[in-house]
Amino acid sequence: MSLLQVERLTKRYRTADGRFLEAVSEVSFEVRAGECVGLLGPNGAGKSTTIRCISGFYPPSSGRVLIGGVDVHADPKRARQILGMCSQEDTLDSDFRVLDQLARHATFFGLSGAEGLRRGRELLERFGIADKANELIESLSGGMKRRLQVARALVASPTVLVLDEPTTGLDPGMRRSLWEILVEQRGNGVAILLSTHYMEEAERLCDRVALLHKGAIRDAGSPRSLIERHMGAAEVEEEVRPGVLWRRPPHLEDVYLRLTGERLEAP
Amino acid sequence: MRIAASLRAIRCVWMRYFDVFRKSAFYYLVTTFSEPFLYLLAFGFGVGSLVGAVDAGGESVSYRRFVFSGILGQTVLFQGFYEASYGGFIRMYYQKIFEAMAMTPITLSEVLWGELAWDASKATLAAAIIACIGAALGDFPPYAPLAVIPVAFISSLLFAGLGLAVAARSRTIEEISYPQYLVVFPMFLFCGVFFPLEQLPVPLQWAAWVLPLTSVNSLMRTLTLGFPLEWWSIPILAAWLVALVAYSRRAMFGRLVK
Repeated sequence: MSLLQVERLTKRYRTADGRFLEAVSEVSFEVRAGECVGLLGPNGAGKSTTIRCISGFYPPSSGRVLIGGVDVHADPKRARQILGMCSQEDTLDSDFRVLDQLARHATFFGLSGAEGLRRGRELLERFGIADKANELIESLSGGMKRRLQVARALVASPTVLVLDEPTTGLDPGMRRSLWEILVEQRGNGVAILLSTHYMEEAERLCDRVALLHKGAIRDAGSPRSLIERHMGAAEVEEEVRPGVLWRRPPHLEDVYLRLTGERLEAP
Repeated sequence: MRIAASLRAIRCVWMRYFDVFRKSAFYYLVTTFSEPFLYLLAFGFGVGSLVGAVDAGGESVSYRRFVFSGILGQTVLFQGFYEASYGGFIRMYYQKIFEAMAMTPITLSEVLWGELAWDASKATLAAAIIACIGAALGDFPPYAPLAVIPVAFISSLLFAGLGLAVAARSRTIEEISYPQYLVVFPMFLFCGVFFPLEQLPVPLQWAAWVLPLTSVNSLMRTLTLGFPLEWWSIPILAAWLVALVAYSRRAMFGRLVK
């Protein structure tokens, strides 16, 4: 069952210098229940604009987005009732302490304050920051803030979860623990859309990935099928330092480089 | 059905602000009321003892009562404008909470209505408490605190609209100073807070009547000092209210949504 459908989504807008920019061009994909789909591309590829259109925050220039079968732009209240969003930027409400933040956010979905507190405590426990429940947001480290923002996206038990670069800035340990939580959510039947520029993250978590370049999807499929289609089975030779070659199996970074001539991750 | 759902959402946003206010009530009360109190002490009691009585609106009243009533208008102007401009800019640009709330079942339109409703509520509370003090001192009639609430709410909604529009149009927080010094302070000084408009040259009186604070002060003095109603104050306020609230929302959508 498809919980998120993006159909021929196009987004054009006027930039600060007056030019029209097509940030997203005819993008289509779907995410089914219990599936994780990755939007893979470097900064500026159109991932965040696509995600803002999916959330209903930006109106599309053309195309449509259905969440649980409901057009998010025609009926945003109903569509977003089942949507959990985590933006790339820090949007935590610094006027609230950690637990109150989650409880207050839950009320935006119609949950009672008491239910919000109960869900908040559960999530803080699961994310390993229960001891920070009464801390101010400013006192949290960058990694804790990121985890709290993902926890906040889960506060109303969404069936569609959209995460814009959720692990950026996390150390490897924190990243892995967040991956475990996402795998758990996927196992519970949640449809996850994950935007990332980390190929390892995409290969580990995503059932399918869409390679986004200059606002358009260049190819999509499972990480394995994309690698086989574009790179074959032959090992790739990489110069790891001047004069030293390293032979390794191909990965998504190589596919992206072959398709677009650009790298996913900054060297 | 849709209107009821929107009102629930706006209430939810309003409650978010109230929750923040409640948790820091002492800080807010001190910062909210110290300024009007200082004006009242300096001008009402200090300058008032030098001036004695003033003739305004066909009545002769003590300068303290005249200024006290003007401070109600000044309070809704400053409270409405500053909360929406500086506070709104911080919430929009630094905290990004407008965006965070508008990615839940609450729409951006409801977030902005909630913001304006809260800014107006906080300013109205300040004006009502000042009116209570006026009534306790015998400068205003006992019903004044209740009577000023509708005018205080509508006018602070208007000034919050101005503040939110300024927040939306300012690229940096420093840029808010331009409208603060070029629009808000001239209104504060020349729209009848400290002296009757009749003291100004006629062209300046007309200019003052164009600005919304003059109408606010006129209505406040009708309600608190029994001055005759200057009926044209009502359409002037209504026009400013519609224009500024509509413009502020349009400007904020233009700023946040591509």
